[in-house]
Amino acid sequence: MQRRDFLKISAGLAGITPLLQACRQERVIPGSIIGASAKTGHLLRDHAFSEPESWEPHQVVIVGGGISGLAAARQLGKAGINDVVLLDLEAKTGGNAACGGNNISGYPWGAHYIPIPNNNLTEYLAFLQEAGVITGYDAAGLPVYNEYHLCSDPEERLYINGQWQDGLVPRFGLSDPERLQLKNFFRYMDAFRQQKGADGKDAFAIPVDASSKDAALTALDQVTMKAWMDDRELTCSYIRWYVDYCTRDDFGTAYDKISAWAGIHYFASRKGRGSNASYHDVLTWEQGNGFLAGQLLQQCRAGVRTGALAVGVRPAEKEIRIAYYDVQQKKLKGLAAQQCILAVPQFVAARLLKDESRLQQVHQYLHYTPWLVANLTVKQLEERSGAPESWDNVIYGSNSLGYVDATHQQLQQRKDKRNLTYYLPLTQSDPDSARKAAYATDHATWTKAILADLKRIHPDIATKTERVDIMLWGHAMAQPLPGIAHGDIRASLGRSLAPGIHFAHTDLAGISIFEEAFYQGLHAAAKVKALL
Amino acid sequence: MDKQPVPKKELTAQWILLVAVFIIATCGLIYELVAGTLASYLLGDSVTQFSIIIGVYLFAMGIGSYLSRFFNTDLLGWFIKIELLVGMVGGFSAAILFLVFPLAISFQPILYALVGVTGILVGIEIPLLLRILKDKVAFKDLVSKVFTFDYIGALLASLIFPLLLVPYMGLIRTSLFFGILNICVGLYLTRYFYGEIRNVRQIRFSGILLLLAQVLAFILSEKIMSYSETLAFNDKVVYSTSTPYQRIVITKSKRDLRLYLNNNLQFSSVDEYRYHEALVHPAMTAAGNPRHVLVLGGGDGLAVREILKYPSVESVQLVDLDPAMTRLFSSQQILQQINKYSLKNSKVTVSNADAFTWLKKHRQQRFDCVIVDFPDPSGFAIGKLYTTAFYRLLQTVLQPGAAVVIQCTSPYVAPRSFWSINTTLMACGFHTVPYHNYVPSFGEWGYIMALDQDHYQVPDTFAITARYISKPVMEQMLQFPEDMKAHTPLEVNKLNNQALVHYFEEEWGKYLEQ
Repeated sequence: MQRRDFLKISAGLAGITPLLQACRQERVIPGSIIGASAKTGHLLRDHAFSEPESWEPHQVVIVGGGISGLAAARQLGKAGINDVVLLDLEAKTGGNAACGGNNISGYPWGAHYIPIPNNNLTEYLAFLQEAGVITGYDAAGLPVYNEYHLCSDPEERLYINGQWQDGLVPRFGLSDPERLQLKNFFRYMDAFRQQKGADGKDAFAIPVDASSKDAALTALDQVTMKAWMDDRELTCSYIRWYVDYCTRDDFGTAYDKISAWAGIHYFASRKGRGSNASYHDVLTWEQGNGFLAGQLLQQCRAGVRTGALAVGVRPAEKEIRIAYYDVQQKKLKGLAAQQCILAVPQFVAARLLKDESRLQQVHQYLHYTPWLVANLTVKQLEERSGAPESWDNVIYGSNSLGYVDATHQQLQQRKDKRNLTYYLPLTQSDPDSARKAAYATDHATWTKAILADLKRIHPDIATKTERVDIMLWGHAMAQPLPGIAHGDIRASLGRSLAPGIHFAHTDLAGISIFEEAFYQGLHAAAKVKALL
Repeated sequence: MDKQPVPKKELTAQWILLVAVFIIATCGLIYELVAGTLASYLLGDSVTQFSIIIGVYLFAMGIGSYLSRFFNTDLLGWFIKIELLVGMVGGFSAAILFLVFPLAISFQPILYALVGVTGILVGIEIPLLLRILKDKVAFKDLVSKVFTFDYIGALLASLIFPLLLVPYMGLIRTSLFFGILNICVGLYLTRYFYGEIRNVRQIRFSGILLLLAQVLAFILSEKIMSYSETLAFNDKVVYSTSTPYQRIVITKSKRDLRLYLNNNLQFSSVDEYRYHEALVHPAMTAAGNPRHVLVLGGGDGLAVREILKYPSVESVQLVDLDPAMTRLFSSQQILQQINKYSLKNSKVTVSNADAFTWLKKHRQQRFDCVIVDFPDPSGFAIGKLYTTAFYRLLQTVLQPGAAVVIQCTSPYVAPRSFWSINTTLMACGFHTVPYHNYVPSFGEWGYIMALDQDHYQVPDTFAITARYISKPVMEQMLQFPEDMKAHTPLEVNKLNNQALVHYFEEEWGKYLEQ
């Protein structure tokens, strides 16, 4: 009896210490909730705007300065169409690729990396070359990637069973049958990556619309990822966690909700090869994809108006009238365009068009996951044993996706302070209630929850965190639920309206990835050009 | 319930003994925790160390409990003697362990012996006390009280140890503090039970002696710590400091003076000329008549000393991360005698900056010769300074015909690391000249010269005064025996694979395990 108690006390040390420390730390950590201009945005829903006084004429108006809108603007410039106006509600363009920064480094507010592109995406590769991400091509015709942009080693680690392991695929502490399930899973994914449909197209391609329409493959869009895995006896907790992590990470959708086709697409659509990189490598920057958004902006010749909330789009005779609210001047303004691209999510587009039946349709099919992204400024943190500090640091079993070290690509030896970007897709409940709950939660409560999550891997994080800024994305991305990728809704909502209203957004692409946004923009630009 | 009236004096005695149990339990667990923490500091792998120490300690307590049957007379006297003994062994345990760690060939037996002895002594005490009190208190009450105090003591110890003691007192002082507490309790008991114990004067005398010794040790604990560091380095530590970048230690013996950075030997004054002549002169000679020279790392100024032997040199730019290093080597007499006041030379500019960021900022500068003298690639941060990205950046500051040389760890211990640097340089378009020499305090050491043209020829003379390098020596340095070759294809070291760090960890890890 004495011995047992004695051991309990010794073991209890580990548990009691942080508890007591928590009692001591009532320090308020500064920071704020930045929110993607939710209040301004919701004016569109809640406020009735009158008519602007006049309509300023332009060739093309693009509503939305995310990647789709910016890519469209850039493409129009390349096609010699220069009278283009781009409207964005935010103070800076970039959409989900928004970024911020402080005196330590830039940091992402959303998307933070791109995988090595597939080699058939010619226009995308050309953009990356223009942006300096590709420095040239080798003798074999393979792109040479800028080595400062390839993610530095060590890239990823996973805190699992009390230790950091190298890489995110669970390995440490798994039994042989569990390892075998993971191995089998990747065998399936490798086969899908190679597979072509009866129509000769890749089973899983980027963009999604380039994929095979073979019925045997599109049938995967009728079931959830979990159902597909259950059928193949991929049921151990580790494989379930891993796949769930991946689908939440890329698509903000849990594995028991997402379409199996979309889930598999994550693993099987990447085929890129470079001279100094391959499909499993990634490209990243301090400010995340904010770097690419910045490059698109630099390369486009459109007149960009930020702080401009579009409030109405309506076809008139031979022109399209776009009303927008200038947030700074608090004034309603009008644009008259020959062609218009709505590079906004469909629930916004339907409201702009004041089309109730369209809005109903959107609400029925498209569900947008809310996300929380936080940037923490931290001093040197205590480390758990195992693999060293990496770019992407993930906690097994956490609701969060862990954090990415924004300073990882920096070159210097010593970093006194770092910016850590913490990602939390709010997938625990349905999007609507998760969104409401998220907006109702204050900074201190969010901060506490974030630090409690990270305390497992950095026991001293509460005392070492100097600042926590939080971004709440109310509608971060549309969920690729069964029936979205291969159903009719995308085509139906994406069809251009006469006399020249076009749509470009990843919610019409099926999945929210950079390439899809880029090609959404390109395709819309091509339609505009054909009609001008 | 059997309620008997207990005389007041008896009652007080009971409580005093129970408080003694409480203190013994606290101290006992503290000693165990000190040993566990120390073992994980010194030996690593905290899970193993803690679990073995807890096991040994509990088992030793069991032995103690068994041994208690052999004490049959003067139980109170023995109780006090053992109390003092626990105080002595436990109190000095951390200091002893710190001191023997560098000396003992096998540290663990001493560690476990100390833990074992403490455990046995504590183990004897509880049964002894039960027997002392057995006639005074009802058995049910007795067991309940003794164990309650025992466990409360253990809880207290386990809470204050991590929260107060380790952060505010450190390990040596913690164990001494509790030793003093133990001894004070023993002394108090001798006073209180004066008439009931044999040889009480003797016990008291030795108790006071122990108390004085521990108080003295408590005051001198800083000295004990630094003395133990001296033992770890074999020689006398003449200077040591922790900068934000590294721990700098300088030791001196009759024979030489040594510099350690993070416990890795950087040079010994006896043979450093072999390293620095081999590092500097081949590249300086290959560069023709270099006028502008860049030194990356090398804050000790020893490479600069060699560079300044060339009359053609107009400027030397030294870039070292740690201002404490360059300050030390440009201010301390004893160190400047070794680098010949090189850092104070008017041709020399010292910049304290990160080499990577410095190069990015000074891309417009041009150099005829670059000496790269970084620490070995033992981690991902330093590994970046051995990548294609870094070497390509370095190429932008080279004059046509310039020579670069890089210290490349030991090709004998870490051939794959050495040759992977060679592969990396070649991938950047450099023509390389790998060579190596013997530096007694280091062992076999390797260097790679990187040139923009494939024209290297050993010069007929090295036009400087040298103790080591010459034409035949250089020719010999170019020869690599089989056991210094890699024998397998090697990866190019890049920012996104850090292949070299992986090679280095594997090779040096294996070597140091031997």
